[in-house]
Amino acid sequence: MIPDELRLTEAGKEVLFGLLTKAALGCLLLYALFPIYWMILSSFRTRAEITAAEPSLLPFDRAEFTDILSDPTLILALLEYENYVTMWGRFPVFDYFVNSLIIATVTTVLALAVGCLGGYAFSRYRFPGKSAVGGALLGTQMIPGILILLPMFLLFIWVQETLSFPLIDTYHGIIFVYTTFTVPVAVWMLRGFFDSIPTAVEEAARVDGCSRFQALVRVVLPMAAPGIAATGMFVFLVAFNEVLFASVLAGGDVTPFAIGIQSFETQTTAYWGEMMAASTVATAPILILFVLFQKPIVEGLTEGSVKQ
Amino acid sequence: MTTPVTQVRNKLADIEIGRYLPLYNQLTEEQRYAYKLLLPGLVMMFIIHFIPIMWGALISVMGVDSAYTSNWYEAPFVWFENYQYVLDPRTVIGSRFWYSIRQTIIFAVGTLVLTYVLGLTAALVLNQRFKGRFAARTLLLLPWVAPAVVTLLVWRMMLQQQSGIINSILLSTGIINEPIYWLIGDNAIWSLILVHSWTQFPLVMIMLYAGLQSIPEQLYEAASIDGAGRWQRFRYITFPQLKPVSAVVILLMMLWTMINFTSAFVLLGSQPPQAGQVSILYIYEFAFSNFQFGRGAAMSVVLFAIAMTMAMLYYKYLFDEDFTEESR
Repeated sequence: MIPDELRLTEAGKEVLFGLLTKAALGCLLLYALFPIYWMILSSFRTRAEITAAEPSLLPFDRAEFTDILSDPTLILALLEYENYVTMWGRFPVFDYFVNSLIIATVTTVLALAVGCLGGYAFSRYRFPGKSAVGGALLGTQMIPGILILLPMFLLFIWVQETLSFPLIDTYHGIIFVYTTFTVPVAVWMLRGFFDSIPTAVEEAARVDGCSRFQALVRVVLPMAAPGIAATGMFVFLVAFNEVLFASVLAGGDVTPFAIGIQSFETQTTAYWGEMMAASTVATAPILILFVLFQKPIVEGLTEGSVKQ
Repeated sequence: MTTPVTQVRNKLADIEIGRYLPLYNQLTEEQRYAYKLLLPGLVMMFIIHFIPIMWGALISVMGVDSAYTSNWYEAPFVWFENYQYVLDPRTVIGSRFWYSIRQTIIFAVGTLVLTYVLGLTAALVLNQRFKGRFAARTLLLLPWVAPAVVTLLVWRMMLQQQSGIINSILLSTGIINEPIYWLIGDNAIWSLILVHSWTQFPLVMIMLYAGLQSIPEQLYEAASIDGAGRWQRFRYITFPQLKPVSAVVILLMMLWTMINFTSAFVLLGSQPPQAGQVSILYIYEFAFSNFQFGRGAAMSVVLFAIAMTMAMLYYKYLFDEDFTEESR
């Protein structure tokens, strides 16, 4: 038994609990943010600094910090920009970026177009086979990609050779694959957003003489804009990150960033600094967009899992 | 004058779908409209999901190898020989495939445990009232939002044996004496779990957080009046109330981890060690390095079957438990 003197009072328990919460939050934040911090820091370091036996955890040493405190503009002078300059010449990074942007953007637009129609049908109508179709949509998320990739690879070769219609290493081939993979998720997320828009809105539009489709396009879609943006960002990220299909079906001139970035590590040398510079360039816009639009994104993610 | 669009529209309107699909006539006008909206998505899913899966099942019973990549339809039917071969632990391929399944299960369970612990802790912390709670939530979500291909490479850099910052920190604080090979040898699977959990825990966190927010406040008030302490409130209110959300989280994390390819592929680089070759990566390496599509497809079907069986067993377990609780 614990002696009475050592027992915590209620107030003491509160303080201890508060401290524990703070400590847990601190550890979690460290775990979550350190790799991102390290990526940005490494991108501003020279090769020698990165491979040093005991690399510094801070961007500047003491003397540099005191200099910066007296003159903040020195920060710009003290950083090493070399990686951001040399990375473009080492590998065709610019092409990787452009390829990824084309593939992910077109995928997003197509998946949203198809997903809006499907999500709207799910949200507003009852029809036979609704639960079966819904189950099939979710079921697609449980299929290991390799099960689809092997036959797809043979199918692409077959179509190429019999119809002489190129599919492997083309934009349209990989975009078609990605669109289909992301449509189920898009339908599911958008359905949740449409559910939160009252049906009275369309009824009013119909009374004013809109057709059903006009009511959807002119009234409902603008109201669902935040949800559509969130879904779009999710689809964009999925398409941007995909490597399994990309490594087989999107090589050569259409190599996306997700595959291309790995070439900075060759058999003999790893260009970590340049790789991190390219990574920072790819990550920064995504993180900024997320911070700006996080509310609908977070809502869209939790909608399906919690609200049943 | 009719525009091409209206011409096409008129042509389409002329088609009597009911003649080909008798069921169509029984649908109300609204239901037909719903199907029309769904049609593009369904057609795409049919082409990219249904056909390839059926086809995958087909080539898994055919001897498709490097000689038949462009004329797969001429490959002989070998029926279940492919399955026998890849599931026979006495052959090299078979034993390696079983090993990869073992590693996949370790990967899935390890990730599940770690992400759930991290996610629940984070969700409970965020559920407290403190200044900067919104900012903390945003920051904790970043690992999940940042492109995985990029962050996995950052982890790859950090886990390097010689120049990695992790070994450097561990050495300088005296926790280890020798630099550890994180990405080579048997450690690879643990590194994979650690890094994959880093990319996934924010998702678990945000789902559990939404679950916490939906617990009615009155339950806690009633418990406080009854004199329940912090731990008791967690044990008897929070935890049981989180059960439905937890069930979804656990199912999704298990399945998604079992079929995850990106983490192992990017983190472990071009020559992944055996310990880190989870099934999907092993099948990929095996099928494309030797163009063994028939056997690769057979392995894929086995992996799919294992994932589905686990999901169904889990579902049944959930259902049974709910059932007994209700009948009590």
